[in-house]
Amino acid sequence: MAAESMERLADQYANRAVRSVFIYTREAHPGENYRHHRSMDDKRANARAFVEHSKIRRQVLLDDLQGTAHRAYGMLPNMTWIVGRGGMIHYKSAWTSEADVVDALESVLDFQANRAKNQWVVFYSERSAWSRRDMGQFKAGLERAGPQAVADYQRMLESNKAARAAPSEDIGPRIPGNYYRTEDEAGKR
Amino acid sequence: MSSPGYNYSEFVASVEEFNDFAVHAPKATMRAPSFALEELATGNPMQMSELWRSEIALIEFGSFT
Repeated sequence: MAAESMERLADQYANRAVRSVFIYTREAHPGENYRHHRSMDDKRANARAFVEHSKIRRQVLLDDLQGTAHRAYGMLPNMTWIVGRGGMIHYKSAWTSEADVVDALESVLDFQANRAKNQWVVFYSERSAWSRRDMGQFKAGLERAGPQAVADYQRMLESNKAARAAPSEDIGPRIPGNYYRTEDEAGKR
Repeated sequence: MSSPGYNYSEFVASVEEFNDFAVHAPKATMRAPSFALEELATGNPMQMSELWRSEIALIEFGSFT
């Protein structure tokens, strides 16, 4: 979770007509200390603990218990989306990276400010992005959730190590669960 | 309603997790779908579309764990 860097970014862009929010979803790695949600009160309690621990200043919004919004937007644990004024999706990212978000935001701001003057029209495009993985912070998060969260993740690694590590000599390492598999990789699983 | 399938009690990686995002979720240039949300601080309901009515919306999804 890139909470700290996204808080900084929210402050930085607040006076440029960018509204930054955090939508609280299901627990990705539930444990003894922060269990899965069996009610909206569970969800509210965990969200409040997150806000306090991570010093979140952005507006925090709760999805419903069934994850209606989270499901519709793709259900990954830490996605970021940018929606332009009026409702067009300009950016969807499987992972949250401050640098990539800044790059996309500047582009969207430029588009919205100058599209009429420059007669710009929108087209669809895809690209890859990259960030550093902070495994120390990730493991600390698992430990905070509780021993079960640590054990579940370890069990997943042991049973599915090759797939999660996503080694590929020709393409290079990718963040697990956040990339298209090559035809060869898809055929192996 | 507890929605146990969505709110799993034990993390198990799914090979479909990326497909939900890449294939089935809306794509750039589409209109963003709007759903009902609840503001944590006040308990008030709101529609997602309010986020982008007059500003650019920067939306991060996540949880404590």
